[in-house]
Amino acid sequence: MQANEFDGNAAFAGGGFMPFQATQTAPDRPSSSSKNSDARCLTPVTVKQLKDLSKVGESGISIDGVDVNNIVLVGIISKIDNAVSDCTFRVDDGTGWVECTKWIHEHVDSVEVDVLSVGMYVRVYGQFKSIQSRRSIHTFSIRPITDFNEIAHHFLECIYVHLYNTKLRLRMTSATDGMTAQPQVANSYSGNHIMGYSYQTNSTSQIRGISSMVLQYLRRPACLASEMGVSSDIVARELNVSVDKVRKTLDFLASEGVVYTTTDDHYKFTDA
Amino acid sequence: MDTSSPAAFVNGGLLRMHVGRKVRTVIQVTRSDAGSVMGKSTDGCQLVVRGSPPAPLTSYVEVIGVAENENSIRAELWTNFGDSFDASNYDQLCQLANGELKHLFL
Repeated sequence: MQANEFDGNAAFAGGGFMPFQATQTAPDRPSSSSKNSDARCLTPVTVKQLKDLSKVGESGISIDGVDVNNIVLVGIISKIDNAVSDCTFRVDDGTGWVECTKWIHEHVDSVEVDVLSVGMYVRVYGQFKSIQSRRSIHTFSIRPITDFNEIAHHFLECIYVHLYNTKLRLRMTSATDGMTAQPQVANSYSGNHIMGYSYQTNSTSQIRGISSMVLQYLRRPACLASEMGVSSDIVARELNVSVDKVRKTLDFLASEGVVYTTTDDHYKFTDA
Repeated sequence: MDTSSPAAFVNGGLLRMHVGRKVRTVIQVTRSDAGSVMGKSTDGCQLVVRGSPPAPLTSYVEVIGVAENENSIRAELWTNFGDSFDASNYDQLCQLANGELKHLFL
């Protein structure tokens, strides 16, 4: 049964998060504000993107219209300032440089910092801080890079996330407006392989669009009158939707109690 | 934070777009002398990099410096990238970073 992928509770939760994502995810509400405490995403950025920030406020920053919490940077250390309780690195990623401050609380922090030297490529995980218009990174982790393919990979990731946030999200959110939306294209945009920065899963929006179409069809007098109900093949043919999608939708609707099965693969609207 | 002096990702073909400006690229070393290194760019062009390379040099080296002309760079910073490196991946990045996604970099 292919309905395993669609968690009714998740879909009903209104947000739509992909159950498979291991780490951070964020439910997408098109009109969401930064107050959503579930938005703990990790965003790869370039220093140039941090410089061009559209919104810097108390509640955090946003890039490409998406709230950004923690960031990843990859660059070369060009300067180190070692103090007792903290260590500040100037990290230059080719688009610009930014100061990254790592606080030294425990032995493990000083060990992390001791291996670093000027001229080394590092990966920085941290949080963007803007204090009196001085922008820096509060650093959680700063580690040397050993496989230099990571550098190209990081910048490609920045490009991917930027394109995802600007183009893909717009296409998906605009398509969910209105219950009469055509079934969504591209199953490949399902949140599965887009790791931490996936917001809305396309699958929930698909369900909303198709389920209303299917329900409307099942509520037609002819379908209500029929004792046997309607088979999913016919529904698919009439609505010009793939049988696969129709079956998944019907299974979901059945699990919600909105429709019920009469015989094998025949469905009726519950409230007849 | 400062973005006043960025280095553009280039391959052999894109170097001419940034003559006189700071660039970064990865080359596969073919010959190395005292004051210069000759190498193959990620898109197969022959480039000359002037400066004092680190010793020893690995097969792939990243160079950050100023583009002198369409096939020569005056290096400021050298980084050994090892003996295995995905050049085609890097090449694709160069093309993307100089295309409509330039604003993320320069």
